[in-house]
Amino acid sequence: MNVTRREILAGSAALAGTSAAGLPRPAIAANEPIRIGWLTTLTGPGSAPGIGFNRGVEFAAGAINAAGGVKGRMIEVVTRDTQGDPTKCVNATQELISQQKVHAIWGPTNSGESLAVTAIMARAKMPNIHPCVVDTLIDPAKFPNAFRIAPSNGQWDEAARKYCLNVLKAKKVAVFGDTTGYGVTAANACAAGFKQEGAEAVVVANIDATQPDMTPDMLRARNAGAEAIVLWTVSTGMIARLLNTRAAMGWDVPFTGHPALASGDVAGLITKPANWEKVYAVGYRSCSFDATGALPPRSQELVDRLAGKVNLSDSLLWWVACGVDAVNLVARAVEATGETSSAAIIGHWNALDPYPGYFGDYRFTKERHNGYPEDGIVMSAANTAKSGSFALAPGYG
Amino acid sequence: MLASIVASGLAMGAVYALIGITYNTMFATSRVMSFTAGMLGMLGGVLGSLFMLRWGLPILVSLPLTLLACALVGVVTEFVAVRPVLKSLDQHLYVLSTLAVALMIQQVTAIEWSTEPRPFPSLLPMGSGMWDEKYWLPVIACAVTVAGLEYLYRRTLVGRAFLAVAEDNFAAKALGLPERNLRVASYAMAGAIGALAGFSGGQLLLAFFANGPLLNFYGFIPVALGGLGNNRGAVIGGLALGLFQQAANFTFGGIFASVAVFVLFIAVLLAAPQGLFGTATARRV
Repeated sequence: MNVTRREILAGSAALAGTSAAGLPRPAIAANEPIRIGWLTTLTGPGSAPGIGFNRGVEFAAGAINAAGGVKGRMIEVVTRDTQGDPTKCVNATQELISQQKVHAIWGPTNSGESLAVTAIMARAKMPNIHPCVVDTLIDPAKFPNAFRIAPSNGQWDEAARKYCLNVLKAKKVAVFGDTTGYGVTAANACAAGFKQEGAEAVVVANIDATQPDMTPDMLRARNAGAEAIVLWTVSTGMIARLLNTRAAMGWDVPFTGHPALASGDVAGLITKPANWEKVYAVGYRSCSFDATGALPPRSQELVDRLAGKVNLSDSLLWWVACGVDAVNLVARAVEATGETSSAAIIGHWNALDPYPGYFGDYRFTKERHNGYPEDGIVMSAANTAKSGSFALAPGYG
Repeated sequence: MLASIVASGLAMGAVYALIGITYNTMFATSRVMSFTAGMLGMLGGVLGSLFMLRWGLPILVSLPLTLLACALVGVVTEFVAVRPVLKSLDQHLYVLSTLAVALMIQQVTAIEWSTEPRPFPSLLPMGSGMWDEKYWLPVIACAVTVAGLEYLYRRTLVGRAFLAVAEDNFAAKALGLPERNLRVASYAMAGAIGALAGFSGGQLLLAFFANGPLLNFYGFIPVALGGLGNNRGAVIGGLALGLFQQAANFTFGGIFASVAVFVLFIAVLLAAPQGLFGTATARRV
């Protein structure tokens, strides 16, 4: 029997292929660290949330590694400070994907940056979790790799609206936003939401955040018969001016709206502490204490673990908790599937229904990538901050 | 409502007028529109808050320190952004150089101070409602500044030297006047005036790094309305701007108030390109 050179080559190739399939993967892959890209704003304007998230990320990665890692694989967080700049964020994303070869990306942490990089990550099929609020950032058909572990803007809006209608019993509201793209969009969406529910937005206005005197806008709201004011802005100066004007007018209309209403910076800008009463900011049940001052058990467990290691006095608990959850979500995906491939991580996340995180019980399916539970969003009494947590606003059991 | 328009309008108008005077003071001796004027106003508020609230210094120490620090910033501006480009004024390089310094001031303030507004303390706990000090302090500051400048320019030798340089710096130099030193002094004076605007309006504007561009912009309008180099025109233009802006806030609100202000501004400039109180310059043909 003649054996040709071609037959020998074909046989060798088949043997090599069979052997490779049957043999364990090289040891280097088993010990390779799990690399998580972390896009955040650690310096510059708007860095407070990024710093808070980062404390949670470092804590979670440290805790997992101290316990021996995930099946022996250490967590390696590759952090990039984007300074809130979408251009820097795009560059950092490209670098994390093509040079650092990360297995998943957590962040960015603001919508402007996320809008710039979501499509890039989708093209690379990069598993991505983020806490950004703009509704269009999540679309399982267009971006099957992107998952949100914080509320969307629509969910915030709904929480504030329900509180006005069901608890404050306000049927006429004034809706204010600042003059940024976010402020204009949020105010219009909010007014439309009230209209759909049969209530009336008697004043809808966008106010320049640097406007020194808010009397005109507040007078217009009062004259129109507003029973509550819903505010969408991150400008603490604007918030404080509105609250001071309310006090100067001797008007006790309640304020609801953006979480920034509860920002610690507002405390320094109001002329007296009483001006901060009857102000209810969007908050989270997991990070709110009840009438007895107790946090939910799971959150208390986290706070106990963080004690002495993570500073909560100048941050918010939900930022830290969300950072912890983000790292844990990646780690659990690798632990459950034994893989770091995009398909494995995304597939695992698509089946989390629910995942009990510290910040919330996330529910993801193939069709639902907005993971944060609606009933986890509550209104907080804005002036009750204590170690990054807030008291539930009146009306919650 | 009318009382609120008048009180708030005059207060903000006085701040705008003082920034307009800051522009004019720098322009008079150098023929340069320095875009650091608004930043000096912003620094007045930030440094006032720093000295009084953070360092706990009394107002009698804080105010001179603030004026001095901003005068120094004015002098540095002259050396860094104005002097090097004076030889080529017709190329308008000062727009770039002064804007660059202004941006640097703003960024350093954002990094070292805060990107969030900080409170500015009550200076003289007097008055309430429409008579609150935050409304009348800027007006008093503006009146004192205008009176002081009038006295300086009309009754003192140094002031007359300033006027001589402003009128014709080549002739003034030929007469032996220290034109360069007078220019440096005018930038120091402009720094102090800008600081006074921010300091007196601190309770309205808060100590906030983003006030710089706002004051740069709204402070320029009185200059254009009143006529470049005309302090009395800047005061009238500033007060009119403040009142109109506040009335527009009441009438239209929010974004539309700003639109109304700029419509008026453009309309005035179309009708009187040299400003309401400026004189048309002769053009050589």
